[in-house]
Amino acid sequence: MKFRLDTQNGITVGIAELEGRLDASGSAPLQKASADWQTKTPFLVFDCSRLDFIDSSGLGAIVGCLRRSLENNGDLRLAGLTPKVAMVFDLTKARKLFSIFSNAGEAAASFGATPTAIQER
Amino acid sequence: MTITEKLSSGITIVELCGTIDASTAPELQRHQAISDPTRTIVIDLARLDFLDSSGLGAIIGAAHRKEESGANMLLSCMNQKVRRVFDITGTVRLFHIFDETAAAIDYATTLRKSQ
Amino acid sequence: MKTLIAIKEADCNWMRETLPGTQPLLAPLCNKPFVEYLIDFAILAGCREIRLLSDGPLSQIEEYCGNGSRWGIELTYANLHPSDGEPELLRKNRKFCGEERTMILSGCTFIDYDKTLDYRGLASIDSGGTIASCPGGSITLAGPLEPSLTDQPLPPVGLTPIGDLKSYCRIAMTTLETGSSRYVLPGYGGEPGCAIGRNVTISKTAQIHKPASIGNNVRILPGAVIGPSAIIGSNVIIDKGSTIKESIILDNTYIGEQLEIEGRIASKNTLIDPESGVTLAMQDPHLLAGINGGATALVLWRKIVHALAAALLLLLLSIPFAILYPLLRLRGKWQDVPSIPNAGLAESIASAFSLDRYPLLPGVLTGRLAIIGSRTHENRAANHTGTDCRPAVFSYAETEAWAATESDAAIVERYHALHSTPLGDIGMTIQALINRIHYRNPT
Repeated sequence: MKFRLDTQNGITVGIAELEGRLDASGSAPLQKASADWQTKTPFLVFDCSRLDFIDSSGLGAIVGCLRRSLENNGDLRLAGLTPKVAMVFDLTKARKLFSIFSNAGEAAASFGATPTAIQER
Repeated sequence: MTITEKLSSGITIVELCGTIDASTAPELQRHQAISDPTRTIVIDLARLDFLDSSGLGAIIGAAHRKEESGANMLLSCMNQKVRRVFDITGTVRLFHIFDETAAAIDYATTLRKSQ
Repeated sequence: MKTLIAIKEADCNWMRETLPGTQPLLAPLCNKPFVEYLIDFAILAGCREIRLLSDGPLSQIEEYCGNGSRWGIELTYANLHPSDGEPELLRKNRKFCGEERTMILSGCTFIDYDKTLDYRGLASIDSGGTIASCPGGSITLAGPLEPSLTDQPLPPVGLTPIGDLKSYCRIAMTTLETGSSRYVLPGYGGEPGCAIGRNVTISKTAQIHKPASIGNNVRILPGAVIGPSAIIGSNVIIDKGSTIKESIILDNTYIGEQLEIEGRIASKNTLIDPESGVTLAMQDPHLLAGINGGATALVLWRKIVHALAAALLLLLLSIPFAILYPLLRLRGKWQDVPSIPNAGLAESIASAFSLDRYPLLPGVLTGRLAIIGSRTHENRAANHTGTDCRPAVFSYAETEAWAATESDAAIVERYHALHSTPLGDIGMTIQALINRIHYRNPT
């Protein structure tokens, strides 16, 4: 899990790259890491373009991150879902909770473009 | 197991009767018409009661050797019991199978002409 | 008139990847196996004798269709060669065809018939040859003309290829929408567009939107929304609050709570997107899972016998293993144990006792492996799927000397997978152990 801060759009956005499989064993490290990321910024982007597999516990971890971001008046946005991962989001109706973008750059830019969108939620 | 050999339109017909298993398979393999790799034959299975995997092995082995030297082994008149052995083992696709011996002989003669 | 229904493995390769273990002719189209549509059409065309031909296994379909008495016809089975064309098919089934007109339905194609029309005119059409074709399939007539049994003009016959998952899905949906006015479809229905099978429990708060077809033994729990355009197979549970829309749920599938399935095919724990062909095997049994009939007594008995045999082998071989494994491991020769000829004493002993397989034995105790069956974990998985596959420590192929190549081994394994008894397996295991000493067979 690589993590970097992006300040190009006048707002500090944390971009995390998720890789490989996100299942019961992978979700605990994610939860731990995301707590650390939250201290830096509540505006997060998860780049899922290299995420091959996700199960319900992985999904739970991502939804947990979203909840924390929302509590801190931020948002968690997803980018680059692979078809298989997208299918899990569709199946579980989790897609409706997230703003999803085709790549991390767009997702990061979206925070700068619509700062009001966050308040609307 | 008994093996009967007939000749029709220059094609050897080998009729297998009874049971082919581990004890009779070597006899099948040694049989002249079956083991000769250059001779195209028709095997009539109408009166074969039982075939196990070693018998199947003997037939497949002989068919492979014939194919390598440009000859063929055609099967005819398989009953349901024997067909099931070929079916479950996925070996049906290795053979040309006819429902009457005469049709197999016709096919064998056309094969020989085309060569 | 007689009918030959010929289908080749190559026509339906697409099905093997996405719907493994399904015999193509039994693939359900709107809860009715594909083959039944072909049989229905042949009957409408006036055939009373039908022969099913394939270059793949027919046993599953034989079990399902039987001798055809269910349709009042005579149904027989035979095999074809992958290279066969129509002339070869007629030749190979000459006895069956006799001196009668024969219709050949070939390929994986859907025939758009209408059950209210009369197709018996096909027997007396004098043009002969191919009367309808599409990529991957055709209807061909051969043999002498027969006197017509009908004065009706022959209705048009259309063919639609089933060449991939997308077309399969589309045809199933079209059949569902056209409904039982045109095709013979299974299930009861008080109104058109909705057919429900036997033993179906639908909660009061569940909704069903037409068109929908539901198989047998189905439970639909509170708040579930079925349809529009939903095909639910047999032995299916749709749990609370889930939505099934424009989708096919195949037999033996559990759909978890609060899920949304739209434009998908679900089969056991696999979710498929027919548009892109992406398949996803779910690992969460509370989302998607297969429903198995309970293990039969024979399966259980086999597992017990295998586990006992494995325990005995584990015990007997523990001492040689404990001594030789560290020794060979240190010398870096452990990997080659089964294959090196004329090796040193330690290697020979290890090879004779099949110690290379020793680490696999605990797998038998946990039920993950059988003691003897197919050696699938050695890159043969691709062409070795289906019910006859039983991953194991030893292979049935190792009991017989003639099985030299991979394909020969697969033949032996399939034969014994269906013919062996649990106690016979013990004998086969001993045979395999002895044979491995003689042949040092690396497979």
